[in-house]
Amino acid sequence: MFDTVDEVQKRLLDQSYICNKNIATVVFLASKLHKPVLVEGPAGVGKTELGRVVARALGLSMIRLQCYEGLDESKALYEWEYSKQLLYTQMLRDKIGEVIEGTTSLKEAAERIASQDDVFFSERFIVPRPLLKAITSDSPVLLLIDEVDKSDPEFEAFLLEVLSDYTVSIPEIGTIHAKHLPLVFLTSNDAREMTDALKRRCLHLYIDFPTEEEELSILNLKVPGMDERLAREVVSLIQNVRKLDLKKTPSISETLDWARALIALNADRLEPELVEATMSVILKHQGDIRKAQAELNQLLMQKTAEARAQAPQAVDPSPGGAKKSVLH
Amino acid sequence: MQQKIVEFTNLLRKAGVRVSVAEALDAFMALDELSLDDRELFKDAMRTTMVKRSDDIPTYDRLFDVFWSGFHDLLRAQLAQAVSGLGGDFDLDELLERLREVLENMDVDLSDLAQSLLGMDANRIEQLIRQAGEAAGVEGIQNMLQIGFFSRRMLEQMNFEGAAGELRELLEQLREEGFPEERLQQLAQLLRAMQDALRRAVRGFTELELDQQNHDYLERFRRESLAEKSFYNLTEEDIRKMREVVERLAQKLKAVVSMRRRRQRKGKFDLKQTMRRNLGHGGLPFELVFRQRKREKPKLMILCDISSSVSNVCRFMLQFTYSLQTAFTKIRSFVFVAELGEVTSLFRDNDVYNAIDQAMDGGDVINPYTRSNFGMAFFTFWRDYLAAVDHRTTVVVIGDARNNYNDPRAWCLREVQKKARNVIWINPESPGAWGFGDSVMDKYLPYCDLAEECRNLKQLSRMVDRIVL
Ligand SMILES: Nc1ncnc2c1ncn2[C@@H]1O[C@H](COP(=O)(O)OP(=O)(O)OP(=O)(O)O)[C@@H](O)[C@H]1O
Ligand SMILES: [Mg+2]
Repeated sequence: MFDTVDEVQKRLLDQSYICNKNIATVVFLASKLHKPVLVEGPAGVGKTELGRVVARALGLSMIRLQCYEGLDESKALYEWEYSKQLLYTQMLRDKIGEVIEGTTSLKEAAERIASQDDVFFSERFIVPRPLLKAITSDSPVLLLIDEVDKSDPEFEAFLLEVLSDYTVSIPEIGTIHAKHLPLVFLTSNDAREMTDALKRRCLHLYIDFPTEEEELSILNLKVPGMDERLAREVVSLIQNVRKLDLKKTPSISETLDWARALIALNADRLEPELVEATMSVILKHQGDIRKAQAELNQLLMQKTAEARAQAPQAVDPSPGGAKKSVLH
Repeated sequence: MQQKIVEFTNLLRKAGVRVSVAEALDAFMALDELSLDDRELFKDAMRTTMVKRSDDIPTYDRLFDVFWSGFHDLLRAQLAQAVSGLGGDFDLDELLERLREVLENMDVDLSDLAQSLLGMDANRIEQLIRQAGEAAGVEGIQNMLQIGFFSRRMLEQMNFEGAAGELRELLEQLREEGFPEERLQQLAQLLRAMQDALRRAVRGFTELELDQQNHDYLERFRRESLAEKSFYNLTEEDIRKMREVVERLAQKLKAVVSMRRRRQRKGKFDLKQTMRRNLGHGGLPFELVFRQRKREKPKLMILCDISSSVSNVCRFMLQFTYSLQTAFTKIRSFVFVAELGEVTSLFRDNDVYNAIDQAMDGGDVINPYTRSNFGMAFFTFWRDYLAAVDHRTTVVVIGDARNNYNDPRAWCLREVQKKARNVIWINPESPGAWGFGDSVMDKYLPYCDLAEECRNLKQLSRMVDRIVL
């Protein structure tokens, strides 16, 4: 476990995750108080990644439950392996014959079989799903319940029961208690508001888009070797794009993808044509691209003008001059 | 400290943030794990344990600053100012050192307040001021005019005059003890500055308290009344804020709808299909088949009167509808004043808010600067779009039915109702006004399956609930 908040920050950094003090505090408290964390925030700000890196930093294995509409207990907790049961009854047909030997009525035969049915409803025929796996695991685990907002409200109610006492009861087998309390992270994209009951049980963490500084650190960490000035330009441009009212605001993944694309293109400055050509890496909707285009051109022009004003000799005034420098 | 956290929790509750007792206890446990000197940690720890809705975070941040940092910082700023005002040749440490030496051999009995002023003990002074605030009932402050009154009352509660007297006496005693005159003057100057700082801090405390009270009030107002505020008197600011409220209501509805659907979705066991599917296994039912019940989502056609008197209702209704898109198989939207035109494509090409803004301007398909004529609008709908109405279509009309004495042509609506699953009318006027003056609501009423008054968001969201049912 972690001893201080600073240690959280440091150890997550070792796992290539930049986390601010707020995130670190919540992670620290979750590990100290054994409380689940509900992580909310826009798409692509590193919610899922946070669960992953905390697991790695603490040396826990991670069990992930991906939620979706229609997810139910049989997919999340356990399921009887119906066809295996059936197969066994077929193969044990003769044995079953012996069991019911001598019975005279159907009812009597059924009762004989019923007295033996724990054979067919034992752990042998259970398919464990993520929640059961997390509870029965021999070593402590981190349970990541991803995109919990996509699940249905009934599932949430069920989840609540599991998270309140970490026991599962299977009628045919009995109650199973967790050997170790798992560290639980739930992520949500705010597709729907989670109930107050669930929120009361959890610590709450809201991760917003990173600040310019943070994003630059992430970029340096994840795309090493990128020219410092180009990295700065990329981040500042992305930060400006986020201020626009878009259908899909670019996330950190888009920043990283874009940076990699620019490197592949051997770029060392953001030129308007280059931005235009690669815009589809950061924006996915035609409408968004149109909207951003106007804004960006203006921004880039302004930047270029500033650069010229600052270092008039350094910039080749002839058209396409800056482009030539790529070739040098 | 515990007491203060409880107070703060109450303040959060008053501002509309739901904090349960269990969560407040979590906050205490969290604070046990951390060093309280780090204000940022302190703030984050309390937030993560007590504030669970991202919407509430801005409220929390503001209240935190007002409650915790506000006075804490203010007091220290005042004290620092008092010291820095003493002038350059003033050796404070030296003075205090001398003073301590002398006091050790004297028999003086000072009150808490006098002591803490003399020792410039910010933490103790803060405590005393907060206690006095409580004793004086400052939390009852309601307006600016009471600031002076409550400040005086606080000074009385902490017996400020008494402490000032004690300090004057102390100076006399010191003089008798032979404390150098120059230092005595300096000390007197310091004590005067400290007393002034205290007075200003008390006043600041009262002002902050007033801020908090106003803040409570504003927040409550925003949350509670926006949903019930009449559509007729919304400011631009209200409209902007209401977007969020609509969004929240829509999300809630969405959850309810999905739950209803799920309940219907579980199909029945299908014996025939099971047998057929398992023929390959010699008839052994390895794979079970359930009959999926087909769910019918309604198609929606929504007709919005965009003349200014009802445009707010249309605005929010459209936002509702498009937030709930998944609850319908298809949504087509129309705007009208006298002419009627379709604006469905606006919602395909723009984000909802932009689309709504454009639609409210007529969306380039109709002239919005005419006088309302429901008869003509319905006639156009009947003529051009009746073919698209079928038994799964819900037609929603939003308007006040004030027809400027034109021909209502109610028969058009009758024909629409015959083909549609149902016709629903949302009217911002109360039923008492229907059919009076130039309202022809009474003429249309026979052809509506449901017609209701919607004057605020609460009523509107109830109506939407019935439409998606
Ligand atoms: N603070 C960070 N430090 C390093 N990398 C980060 C950070 N935040 C995000 N990333 C990177 O950004 C990408 C997106 O993160 P992730 O998939 O965790 O986002 P998410 O919030 O779970 O998104 P979604 O809501 O779409 O599931 C990942 O590749 C991750 O490595
Ligand atoms: Mg994710």
